[in-house]
Amino acid sequence: MTQLLSDRVPQDYYKSRVIILSIIVCLVMLALLIRLWNLQLIMGESYDDMAIENRIRLLRLPPPRGSIYDRNGKALAENSSSFTLSIVPGAIKDPHLIIEAYADPLGFSPEKMRSIIEKSLVAPRFISFPIKKNISLEEVSLIKAHSREIKGVSLDAKPYRHYPNAELLCHIVGVTGEISGSELEKSGRVGYRPGDYIGKTGIEREYETYLRGEEGWEQIEIDAKGRNLASLTRRPAKPGADVVLTIDSSFQKFVENTFTERAGSVVAVDPDTGRILAMVSKPGFDPNLFSPSISERNWKSLNTDPLHPLENRSIRGLYPPASTFKLVTALAALSEGVVKPDSSFVCSGELELAGQVYRCWNQRGHGRVSLHKSLVESCDVYFYELGLRLGADRMAQYASLFGLGKPTGVELSQELPGLIPTNYWKQRNYGTFIKDGENVTIGIGQGYTLTTPIQLAMMTAAIANGGNVMRPYLVEEIRSREGSTIFGQTPVIRWNLKPDPQNWSLIRKAMRDVVEERAGTGRRCRIPGLTVYAKTGTSQVISAREKSNGDDEVPYHERTHAMFVAFVDDQPRKIAVVVVIEHGGGGGKTAAPLARKIICRYYGLPDPGEPRD
Amino acid sequence: MPNTYLDSNVISSVRKFEWFLCLNAITLAIIGIVSIYSATIPMGSAGRSFVIKQTAWLSLGVVLLILFSFVDYRILDRWGSWVYIFILVALISVSIFGRVTAGSRRWIDFGLMRFQPSEFAKLAIVIVLAKSLSNRTRGPLDDWTEIFRNLALVLVPAVFVTTQPDLGTAIAMSLVAITMAMFVGLSKRIWSAIAGLAVVCVPLIYIGANYFLLDYQKRRLLTFINPDQDPLGAGYQIIQSQIAIGSGELFGKGFLKGTQNQLMFLPVKHTDFIFAVLSEEWGFIGCVIILMLFMIFILRGLAIADRARDDFGTLLAVGCIAIIFWHVAINVGMVMGLVPVVGVPLSFVSYGGSSLLSSFLVTAILSSISSRRFSCLA
Repeated sequence: MTQLLSDRVPQDYYKSRVIILSIIVCLVMLALLIRLWNLQLIMGESYDDMAIENRIRLLRLPPPRGSIYDRNGKALAENSSSFTLSIVPGAIKDPHLIIEAYADPLGFSPEKMRSIIEKSLVAPRFISFPIKKNISLEEVSLIKAHSREIKGVSLDAKPYRHYPNAELLCHIVGVTGEISGSELEKSGRVGYRPGDYIGKTGIEREYETYLRGEEGWEQIEIDAKGRNLASLTRRPAKPGADVVLTIDSSFQKFVENTFTERAGSVVAVDPDTGRILAMVSKPGFDPNLFSPSISERNWKSLNTDPLHPLENRSIRGLYPPASTFKLVTALAALSEGVVKPDSSFVCSGELELAGQVYRCWNQRGHGRVSLHKSLVESCDVYFYELGLRLGADRMAQYASLFGLGKPTGVELSQELPGLIPTNYWKQRNYGTFIKDGENVTIGIGQGYTLTTPIQLAMMTAAIANGGNVMRPYLVEEIRSREGSTIFGQTPVIRWNLKPDPQNWSLIRKAMRDVVEERAGTGRRCRIPGLTVYAKTGTSQVISAREKSNGDDEVPYHERTHAMFVAFVDDQPRKIAVVVVIEHGGGGGKTAAPLARKIICRYYGLPDPGEPRD
Repeated sequence: MPNTYLDSNVISSVRKFEWFLCLNAITLAIIGIVSIYSATIPMGSAGRSFVIKQTAWLSLGVVLLILFSFVDYRILDRWGSWVYIFILVALISVSIFGRVTAGSRRWIDFGLMRFQPSEFAKLAIVIVLAKSLSNRTRGPLDDWTEIFRNLALVLVPAVFVTTQPDLGTAIAMSLVAITMAMFVGLSKRIWSAIAGLAVVCVPLIYIGANYFLLDYQKRRLLTFINPDQDPLGAGYQIIQSQIAIGSGELFGKGFLKGTQNQLMFLPVKHTDFIFAVLSEEWGFIGCVIILMLFMIFILRGLAIADRARDDFGTLLAVGCIAIIFWHVAINVGMVMGLVPVVGVPLSFVSYGGSSLLSSFLVTAILSSISSRRFSCLA
């Protein structure tokens, strides 16, 4: 209590200071009021004139957006203009005049036109209220004849994006759209305003800063009737830069047309540089639907489609790599010395472990298999054994060396990392370590393991180019409108695997025999006169399902994914291809022929067709 | 004595609740929301979210106001240093992890809401200064170590805020601290030292400003001196906002009818330039009402400072009032072209959750000081 009493103060110690402060506050407020009086009451009228005349009217000059080209200079995205007719409710003098003049050329009935105008009157008075968008040039010519006399109507040309090739490359090029509230908040004062267009997906989004250009302005003098009197000063808009892709659109078109299955992805890269030659994700969509803005119905149907046409499966599709992962397991096993190149096991068609039976895809078994044979014929039991000996962590180490389980760094930021399971990951997410049974499935690329097609492409490229894990890229260069290069791409080696030459040639030889040998699983990719290296994969979608009699009886969504990786490296132009067909059945059966057609087209060879034997 | 910071007698505290000040604050905030509505209408659908968000922030502000009013302000005497440290950590982390909006790093993103620590840093400075200045024998400040200690308390957060870069808030912080120091008083010795320092430093600062201020900050200061020099760049804001205010005349153009506002001649009008929107649409009468509401709020706050139970309470109240006062003076002055455009929100009225919440916390502290002016804990 004593402490509290001592806290209490004589009330007058600060009194004088508080009074002084109060006086200062009153004086400042008075100063503000005087200024206000001055601005609003004394000079108010002249400011009002200024506001009405709007003599310092600033016109925005929106910059033309840069185009996107393929490597041969063919336009993939360019500008086109559409017209929008709007009314400014505050400026309407005689609504009947408007109805008379515009209803007919716009194809509206006079009643509809009247109701539109009535509706617009509720809107803020001086904001233009769009009444018809996407008006054709023909209609515009009809309208222009009248527009001078009638007040309260304005016709604006608005550039919008046109994609001449429609569905081709839709996921890579991407779409633009009107800027959203949250994007506006994020961009802050960078110069975007409501109604501006901004890249929403793909290259349009990633290279927005280059494509957009710089806005210009024009200061114009306007008279009381809103007519332009003179242009006072002007800073022209700076057009956006053009982006040139690495992809040849005719090759891309061939790949897209060859891919006739329902869903899946193809990625083809140049192994030496990481340049992407083709990137397909099916199903696709027509980006022109988004331009200038997508209708609610179209948006709904795209968004609710069970096959997710808007997703770019090449970078976001997560698939178990299945037997294509055996390349990783094999290299890991050889490098770690858990297996000798010439040691062999007997595959009886299944492996029993702790009461659980793990089957080989070939139920009759492969008999005695060496590492070479197990890769060529894709024997599962051999790799169950390797998975068991290596353990998940050691396999993960080599998978990461190949770039699996993390983004490849391609220019599309939506890329997903995938997943390579480790004991640390399992412990954090499930509270237990990886069991032996799981190591077995990881060995053949099933279980928790998830990779994207582009990761598999970069893995294949690394095997083709001697161990360099490249950063894939889509953009060859960025050019200003005047033609000077703003940015030129240089290939980036992310790291080198430093493979042991002996192990390396072992794996390459096995990959070659996958195609060349009679029992090889990838035989359908054989091209006479060309050395193709490959590995097949068939990834299971549902676990531990007893094999049915034939694929046709299995419901679509339960069918296996067909995977196929292949490369050619003894030609001047090299290629590495990944084909993923969702629910496509066996990798060797459906994906391999597709890869064969793609490689044949790339080298300009005739398709030899399926091998007859 | 039970060590509690909550009043035991709820009924008496409701009676003693500072209704006047709180209703004043809520009125100002509602006027703010109405103006934000008008200011964001031209943005179309993107603008609507501003009104919704600000309303949500106001509701949260009122809840905080009621809650904290019933908490004894002396909890701040005890925990003030921790509040200060917390804010300091937040300021540092914002400059490391913060998200960039409009080229500045001011926000910490919590997903649903973003938190701008610099708005609360002003309050934290007031609390530690009140604590440090009340915890001494009365009389003018005469001891250099004491002055430097208090100076450090202000300068550390101010430097972080300046680097965000948010010059306006840093200036407001310094002015609030100076106000508090002057309120306590400075000895003649100190005054003369400061005067001497000023003579030496002004040329140095002139040179320093040339090197260290960012381009847009320099441009703003230069265009304040002569707005017509750059009518389409930085001067554009000042000219357009003066036209908006001036053309409002006596009665204003009416709600949603301000041409400067609706035709988007005004930039950042829902935040820093909200007063221009308001004066264009409601005229001189509307402006006088707003300024009177602020003046009544401030004078009432000073009266609370005068009658506070202890020195800590008095200084805390003076600091809180100084925050509101300087925001109003700088913001309104800047919109009318009296002071440079430094980017300070109008308390209670401007759009912005952190600014609104910190203004309501100020009100809550004042209310708490007021309702405990005669009581002693028993």
